[in-house]
Amino acid sequence: MRARSAVKALLATLLVCLATMVLADVAVPQLTGRVVDQTGTLSSSDVASLTQKLKDLEARKGSQVAVLIVPTTQPETIEQFSIRVAEAWKIGRKKVDDGALLVIAKNDRKLRIEVGYGLEGSLTDVTARRIIDEVITPKFRSGDFAGGIDAGLDRIIGVINGESLPVPQPQASHGTDLDFDSLTSFAPVALFGALVIGGILRTLLGRLIGSLATGGAMGVLAWLIVGSAGLAALSAIAGFVIAFIADSFAGMNTPGTGRRGGWSSGSSSSGWSSGSSSDSGSFSGGGGSFGGGGASGSW
Amino acid sequence: MRRLLTVLAALMTLSLTNCGYNAIQTNDEQVKAAWSEVVNQYQRRADLVPNLVNSVKGFAQQEKDVLLGVTNARAKVGSVQATPDVVNDPAALQKFQAAQSELTGALSRLLVVTENYPQLKSDALFRDLMSQLEGTENRITVARNRYIKSVQEYNVGIRTFPNNLTAMMFGYKEKANFTVENEREISVAPKVDFNAPAPAPSK
Repeated sequence: MRARSAVKALLATLLVCLATMVLADVAVPQLTGRVVDQTGTLSSSDVASLTQKLKDLEARKGSQVAVLIVPTTQPETIEQFSIRVAEAWKIGRKKVDDGALLVIAKNDRKLRIEVGYGLEGSLTDVTARRIIDEVITPKFRSGDFAGGIDAGLDRIIGVINGESLPVPQPQASHGTDLDFDSLTSFAPVALFGALVIGGILRTLLGRLIGSLATGGAMGVLAWLIVGSAGLAALSAIAGFVIAFIADSFAGMNTPGTGRRGGWSSGSSSSGWSSGSSSDSGSFSGGGGSFGGGGASGSW
Repeated sequence: MRRLLTVLAALMTLSLTNCGYNAIQTNDEQVKAAWSEVVNQYQRRADLVPNLVNSVKGFAQQEKDVLLGVTNARAKVGSVQATPDVVNDPAALQKFQAAQSELTGALSRLLVVTENYPQLKSDALFRDLMSQLEGTENRITVARNRYIKSVQEYNVGIRTFPNNLTAMMFGYKEKANFTVENEREISVAPKVDFNAPAPAPSK
């Protein structure tokens, strides 16, 4: 009896492990632009005009929309495939989550509009399905893929235009925005480093100068590790303060390092720095997240 | 002496960080967040059910049994507690899951019945409700998958060395996950049927 339940538990574990390792799925395509066509359905002028349309939308509203055409999503359903693509591409702005994705599986004759969290209020499942049923698929049935996608995007853009979203920020150069994820992950290192380096430098240089030197060292370290000027400055100040008051530290609780983000296991969803989509022609997602909202259809 | 204490405090911080205390916290929070998302989406479905039942009633009153089945299953779902503590209690999770899958079953029986009523199927309100239901079912699937992954990460995190020592010290236990039958259901992609006249809600 015990043995059987043990075997059951083992099997359960194995199945759980297998569940996240689906076999032979279609790989998520590279995000090469706002329109990714792996089937050669669209002419280059189609791609250019659709891309321009989506670029204008992002410039105006900040919202990112992308189109993906693949031959097939087998063995997965289009829903399973498109959520994987959405999770990998991360289109839409971080924390605003105003991304949408139009996925078309040409040979399966299936399509889906995948909607980011931030657009679920206006681009509801019902609206998405109507756009598919009333605008896109009639044109697809007659073989007019470019026209269908174009008309569908117009409707999607129209819906997004009616949504009040945060004004898009002109993309600043990399490293001016403080990335608090990396701040919290750097904090324990900074604390320890400041104490150790501070201890050494203060015995060598005296309290004030030593603490200043510590601050400088911390700033350089932070800049090297995290690569953000703002964070480096913060670390420098923190390093100085910690080193300066180190002896009053003893016996007190060390400052908490924040509830989120340990300095081990890079499990936080955002990397050290999320790529900013600049206007240099390259396109990358802004870190938006998706939860399976949207609608599917077939033609 | 004070200096020694300072160094000790620093070492303590470092060792805890190294032994995954923070990682356990992060994963724990992630499990909680993933769980509330699951509950959220199931709630969304439960809210849809009465409208769906009413819209079917208008066209298919004679299907009393099926409609009653859905209503009862919906009531049962409402009576099961879905507090955040459920993640620490396999039995409670089991109960929650049983109620939800009963509703899933009742709903799919209802959808089979609706096939016999062309007028109902072309009704605009019904079609809207159907696409809401489909979207919700898909969100449930996504939320459950994410919950499964986050629990996995957490459980692996508290069982691997040296984090297991930290977990033992602070009393972190493994969390409950969705069970095998459902696991199978989730991980196997449904067969795509090209002849299907109407899209059925994804399971």
